[in-house]
Amino acid sequence: MVLWIVLACFTAGVTALLIAPLMKASHLTVADGEDEAAVYRDQLREIDRDLGQGLIGAEDAGYARAEIGRRLLAVADAAAKVAPAGRAPARHRLATAFVILCLPVTGLCLYVTLGSPGLPSQPLEARLANPGNDMALLVAKAERHLAQNPNDGAGWDLLAPIYFRTMRLPDADQAYRNAIRLLGESPQRLAGFGETLVATNDGIVTEEARVAFERAVALDAGNMRARFYVALALEQAGRAAEARGAFEALARDSPPGAAWASLVNEHIAKNGGAPLATAAAPQMLGNPSAEDVAAAKDMSPADRSQMIKGMIDSLAAKLKDDPNNIEGWLRLVRSYQVMGDATKASEALQAGLKTFPADGEPGRRLLALAREIGIPVEGATQ
Amino acid sequence: MIIEIGHYALVLALATALIASILPVIGARRGDTALMDLAPLATITLFCLVAFSFSVLTWAYAVSDFSLLNVWENSHSLMPMVYKITGVWGNHEGSMMLWLLTLTLFSALVAIFGRNLPDTLKANVLTVQAWITVAFLLFILFTSNPFMRLDPAPAEGQDLNPVLQDFGLAIHPPLLYLGYVGFSVCFSFAVAALIEGRIDAAWARWVRPWTLAAWTFLTAGIAMGSYWAYYELGWGGWWFWDPVENASFMPWLAGTALLHSALVMEKREALKIWTVLLAIMTFSLSLLGTFLVRSGVLTSVHAFATDPSRGIFILAILSFFIGGAFVLFAWRAPQLKSGGLFAPISREGALVLNNLILTVSTATVLTGTLYPLVLETLTGEKISVGAPFFNLSFGLLMIPLLLAVPFGPLLAWKRGDLLGALQRIYVVAGMALVAGFAFFYAQNGGPVLAALGLALGFYLIFGSLTDLWYRANFGKLAFKIAFARFKGLPRSAFGSALAHMGLGVTVLGIVAVTTFETEHVLEMKPGMRAEAGGYSLVFDGLREAIGPNFTEERGHFTVSRNGAVVADVWSSKRIYTARRMPTTEAGILTFGASQLYVSLGDPMTDGGIVVRIWWKPWILFIWGGAVVMMIGGFVSLSDRRLRVGAPSRRAKPVKLAMEPAE
Repeated sequence: MVLWIVLACFTAGVTALLIAPLMKASHLTVADGEDEAAVYRDQLREIDRDLGQGLIGAEDAGYARAEIGRRLLAVADAAAKVAPAGRAPARHRLATAFVILCLPVTGLCLYVTLGSPGLPSQPLEARLANPGNDMALLVAKAERHLAQNPNDGAGWDLLAPIYFRTMRLPDADQAYRNAIRLLGESPQRLAGFGETLVATNDGIVTEEARVAFERAVALDAGNMRARFYVALALEQAGRAAEARGAFEALARDSPPGAAWASLVNEHIAKNGGAPLATAAAPQMLGNPSAEDVAAAKDMSPADRSQMIKGMIDSLAAKLKDDPNNIEGWLRLVRSYQVMGDATKASEALQAGLKTFPADGEPGRRLLALAREIGIPVEGATQ
Repeated sequence: MIIEIGHYALVLALATALIASILPVIGARRGDTALMDLAPLATITLFCLVAFSFSVLTWAYAVSDFSLLNVWENSHSLMPMVYKITGVWGNHEGSMMLWLLTLTLFSALVAIFGRNLPDTLKANVLTVQAWITVAFLLFILFTSNPFMRLDPAPAEGQDLNPVLQDFGLAIHPPLLYLGYVGFSVCFSFAVAALIEGRIDAAWARWVRPWTLAAWTFLTAGIAMGSYWAYYELGWGGWWFWDPVENASFMPWLAGTALLHSALVMEKREALKIWTVLLAIMTFSLSLLGTFLVRSGVLTSVHAFATDPSRGIFILAILSFFIGGAFVLFAWRAPQLKSGGLFAPISREGALVLNNLILTVSTATVLTGTLYPLVLETLTGEKISVGAPFFNLSFGLLMIPLLLAVPFGPLLAWKRGDLLGALQRIYVVAGMALVAGFAFFYAQNGGPVLAALGLALGFYLIFGSLTDLWYRANFGKLAFKIAFARFKGLPRSAFGSALAHMGLGVTVLGIVAVTTFETEHVLEMKPGMRAEAGGYSLVFDGLREAIGPNFTEERGHFTVSRNGAVVADVWSSKRIYTARRMPTTEAGILTFGASQLYVSLGDPMTDGGIVVRIWWKPWILFIWGGAVVMMIGGFVSLSDRRLRVGAPSRRAKPVKLAMEPAE
């Protein structure tokens, strides 16, 4: 409301300013040539000065004077020919009306279409001072703190898993390295670091990652995540028997109904064993199956990204048929963003928001994700 | 809320521009003073609205308000404040805002300083300015609106293009725009005169300060852009005949021609039609430059975002204004009376030669710039017209022009005495040859042509001094009297002498650098030594460093001459964290007017790194000359005669100073 009052006063002020000359008594003017004559008289003086300084000869000065004199006469002639035509209008009703209408009408019509009157200004400092639950802001705040205090290990430790979840892999890599350097190794940090490396390398457990996972297991044999990747490393190295043993041990040590059970079973089967763990929750929609991951290992990068695209497409198709799956939407949006396709990510976001409106809990999760991974959400006003 | 008010101010500016583009021209037609008085008022209001809107945008950048799409796309909260502010115009939308701000600034200046203009001419000029403003406001509001919002706002921006994170961004675009857009005033004067159907010598006097101001700023803007590209891009060159450079160079050439033809028109009322045509062409070339750079037709650091709708919009603006002006010209020009006559050998003749060559060279550059684009559009074939074409065609055209420069001021108006002028010049030419050869021997080496090129540079410098020398009559009169006369010379005489001298200095720099430059590309390991320009550089190794929003590897070099350490220099490769984009920061050491330029290439596997070392003798003369030209422009601008009509300035201090001497 305040905004509209300010805009109205603004418009009124400009209007008042612009109609002022139309309110004054007007008269008709003709080109009297006085301004031109002033220039020519100045040119005459210039000739006198040049003559005085000996820059031109007396004869040339005479010619030049004559030429300028002719110009002066021509100006006077032209001025005499035009006489004032009639009287000036006493009032400029039409012009005044045009000014009074043009400003508010143009201003309002355009502003209502283009502007976002509902949005307040949002300087970053003020938002950082009061970030609320906005994850992206909290991350930004932590980043600024770390830019000033790059040796604050706890800060890096906090940020690293968040970076990983939002697929900012190079940042996650850096953050885990810093946290490990400053705070020392811990099973969680090592496993997280290893996982970042695996994600960076399209699912391949590299040598550096394997070392990290093995150290994590050495520190804490109960770290299932690290153990899974150690086993996966064996499998990818082609040591099927050892891999099967490791996966079987993992299955035995897992609590019943563990989320990873079915994945582990697949790997056991793949390495020639019988399923052991109690399968529980069905595999998460859109996650690559163990076969997919294994197949990806031998592929060229182009084929691999083709495969990933295929998986995303099939997820998108599934969601089209059955949109009532919030986890699926979240995964789809994130996948597109990871693939670097911001347009599709934001399309998926909009599609997801159709099923789960922004005012419900699932819708809020979608928006939170968008904010977290930096997909712009067009304002409702636009 | 302030952001929305800023957006509204821009919308209101459009309404004001509409009023200013309709009512005053009607007033001028009828001779109605009330409607004409509206023009300066609306123009100044328009400037205030745009300036307010621009400052709101700047504020949003300064406080990192990422709820603006434009700020989010082109800024980062950790950038130093100076880049946050210059980042306002480091992108398409913001740079169009700067264009608009400059345009309305010039309109406001005409409104304020145009008191000596006839009422109708002033109203018409301001109207044409308002038309241009309307076109660009529509363009900004509908295709390039910097006030589009994001909700919810992201927490961090996407950073400014690292190449643009440099102090050059604070200087180059504003100066260039002051030049580019300044020529809009000349265009408006031309169109206004055509609308009135009346044009005379006084018109040339009125338009002169605006041409001069625009030309001066454009000179500075181009020189600054060239220097920036030289030190930032790390290629070691200072001019690439890149289409974007040509886009700014063409208005400069046409503007230089305009500056000279307007002189003839002012003095002799000749070349009227030609001058009007040049005024239209110069701004048309500015618009063409804007189109080439902003439409995405060309790929360069200047083409921020490519969006076909923008290109089409600018093309429409271009066609409307250029086409409209030419139609008006074709209709009105035959009705204009031609002016004074002159002999081929005269000041006018020399200026016609100047115009002829400058126009042909503009056409050459235009052809070389557009031909590849046209060919690609028509046949899909990609060719590039590069330096060899331009150097040969443009270079050959420039030689007669440069030779003719000192003659111009020495020849009399109407009919000149070539023999007399030659007599004055041959001393200069001899001195220049001697200086050229002396310079050449000092540098030792290079083809003989270089000595002639250097002589040409000196010839321009001495030639411009000769003009002042003869005008003051130093040779014939006693020194005291001659000096008094020298002081009494009009400022514009000093201005043109300085501008011509600056041209000579630039020519010297160009010839010296092209001829005596040395380039070494080598792979260096710490402790290794390289020689360039009589200096030896020892590579001390690489070191990591962290900046506010980048990390860098800095290479340190110790520079010594004859065994004594004289300086040290850092050259680095940076990675800007937000965009993960690398840039090179060349290390540049200045010795007098020469520079040592060190740029880092790719690291080798064995711990070495590729290093490029250039020795650039006298390179600063290239830009120093432009600075001298610019000073010449300002000196000329301060000439009393350009203020004719302002009654308080009618005093004649020059004459008073003269009397005791005579």
